[in-house]
Amino acid sequence: MIQPRYGEPQERDWNLLPDEEFRAIVREEIEHHYPSHLRYAPRRLLWSEQAEWIERLRERRWLAPGWPTEMGGMGLEPLKQIIFGEEHERWGAAYYREHGVVQVGPVLMRFGTREQQDRWLPPTLRAEHHWAQGYSEPEAGSDLASLRTRARIDPAHSDEYVVTGQKIWTTLAHVATHIYLLVRTDPDARKQEGISFLLSPIDAPGITVRQIRDIAGHSELCEVFFDDVRIPAENLVGEENHGWTIAKSLLGHERISVGSPGPAEYGLELLRGLARDRGLLRDPVFRDRYARLALDVTHIRDAYARYKDLIASGQEIGPDVSMLKITSSETFAEIAEAIIEFAGDEGGLAAADGPGTLTAFYRARPMMIYAGANEIQRNIVATAVLGLPRG
Amino acid sequence: MTDVTLDLLDDVASAFATRDAARVRNLRDSEAHLDREMWGRIAEVGWLSMVVPEELDGAGLDMAATVIVTRALGRGAFPEPFVAAGVLAPMVLAAAEDDACHERLAAVMAGELVVGVGSQGEVAATARGTLTGESRCTGIAGADAYVAGAGSGLYLVEAGAPGVSVIPQRLADGSFTARLELTDAPALLLVPDERGGEVLAQALDAARVALSGELVGIADTALELTLDHLRQRRQFGRPLGAFQALQHRAVDMWVQRELASAALQAAVRVHVDERSSARERAIAASSTKARAASAATSVCNAAFQLHGAIGFTDEYDLGLYLNRALALAPWLGNAAESRRRWLDLVEGSQS
Repeated sequence: MIQPRYGEPQERDWNLLPDEEFRAIVREEIEHHYPSHLRYAPRRLLWSEQAEWIERLRERRWLAPGWPTEMGGMGLEPLKQIIFGEEHERWGAAYYREHGVVQVGPVLMRFGTREQQDRWLPPTLRAEHHWAQGYSEPEAGSDLASLRTRARIDPAHSDEYVVTGQKIWTTLAHVATHIYLLVRTDPDARKQEGISFLLSPIDAPGITVRQIRDIAGHSELCEVFFDDVRIPAENLVGEENHGWTIAKSLLGHERISVGSPGPAEYGLELLRGLARDRGLLRDPVFRDRYARLALDVTHIRDAYARYKDLIASGQEIGPDVSMLKITSSETFAEIAEAIIEFAGDEGGLAAADGPGTLTAFYRARPMMIYAGANEIQRNIVATAVLGLPRG
Repeated sequence: MTDVTLDLLDDVASAFATRDAARVRNLRDSEAHLDREMWGRIAEVGWLSMVVPEELDGAGLDMAATVIVTRALGRGAFPEPFVAAGVLAPMVLAAAEDDACHERLAAVMAGELVVGVGSQGEVAATARGTLTGESRCTGIAGADAYVAGAGSGLYLVEAGAPGVSVIPQRLADGSFTARLELTDAPALLLVPDERGGEVLAQALDAARVALSGELVGIADTALELTLDHLRQRRQFGRPLGAFQALQHRAVDMWVQRELASAALQAAVRVHVDERSSARERAIAASSTKARAASAATSVCNAAFQLHGAIGFTDEYDLGLYLNRALALAPWLGNAAESRRRWLDLVEGSQS
């Protein structure tokens, strides 16, 4: 067993296990130890709400499934990472996809210095740091590269950046300990070429976090204001003005997971449960709609399986994988609308505890926007897959 | 079959089934129900014996191979009734037990005898072994003989025999379907009552998967023609394909084709697995047929819209695909019927 640079070694080499055996081990862990009151949470859970489960994962050294074992991760090959996620989804368990694990860690392993790795990776492995992603800005959404948050080297202290600007849609920033952010370091360069990647504690003087209440009544999104915030130059990852390349290197990580048919399958279960309660299972109008939606989900699952096969055979996933995100989020939204419709005059009831009529609706709508709005996904497919000219 | 063998077959099938639009139009505009010369060539490449087991001198290939062929035929706008007479009929004949039937099967594999299968209707067998009633036989007319079901038994009647009249009906693409009217018609028993229903049901589910392949092939080419058009045609000083509204419609066509292709592949996987039950095969068949029918239809309709007026002319080839999709999509359960059957079957397997 390799002695990793950080923490204790894994209990075994997971990649030597047959997939189904590995799946059974993950399933057993989740079914026996995931707190039952946290299953199918109707909103994103705070870290403090799942502290007991996170501690369990930390003890088992399962917090970083995708990290190499040398760095204290589980070292899972891509297909096993997918299986790991699927088992969470199957049980309605919150998957610990903390940004330090899925974003900052991989970035530092690829672009960071040894000093940066030694400083930032161990606390992430111990679940002591929770990172927020400072990407979007009020004027830079889908067109992220036009971001304007400015970082200048202080003429008096050349080892410090001074950062001024604003980030928005920063998930869970109000409970984060740190933030990684894209900033403009060269305003004169082409917009993608003047961007840098910085790390900062979120309690640095000059940072203000304000929660945004969303239409579902939750407040997991935030605005983060930077007012002459001093960030040590040693917190620059990679070279100055190379931040865009770093940010882009991360996109591949989420492309298949944001396309999982799991949420839509969960929506179908809610729809079916509702129909059972309301005596609609034999209703031909319901059946026609349900069959259509259920087959949509079935075929998205079939397509998803093809991408999994590609990953299993070691092939790269191309931009065509966007079809999963487009179809699974839009189908989920259609299912959410069907739930409201077949709920009749109860269609407008707000959820109390546990899933309600509108749970799927409020989960599905943002999925068509985040991780690249579906319209942006279509633009990308049109040019990169179908070979149509740029508009 | 291995992936390499299947890739080879795909190359061969694609080369064989290139679009010959002049032939397709000539056949369509003639009174001929079948291009016998082309049928002979299809027999020569061995495709009429693909689904027949090796012990009956067939090639014994699985559904993966069949679908490669039907998808290629769909891409090439072939009007030949391959699924009807090259998949469905040989499967039914191969289930027969006596030598007389197997002689017929040999002739079918050689392309010398073309057999259609009546899958819906009311036919009764008399005590003398003759048949009386009506049967509908989608996807083919002008066959030499037809399979008809009476009770649960399956019989073969010769097209020219006394008491057999075949009433052809033209489909959207110019190919034919037929209605059989049988009056005390002499018939050869293929499969007796005990097994007939099961044999026909399984052959129909296999045919649904094969037909889905043909429909996905139609969508393949309709999409390709549209993308070519969007890249080449210029209006307002730029290619049509640079307009975002059209790009997004093209992506939605592509998404439907991808879903149909994935559903097809999933159904093939169930059908090649010998452990799959008849019900699993039926679920997979209706799943792929539902998607293939709706995707081929919606892709062709969108292709037509994105082409503008040129798509409405018979000179341009898109119409061959649109009309072929209109002819094939309703057969063996249209999209809505297939979804309904799928849900009934899935629920049946839950209870």
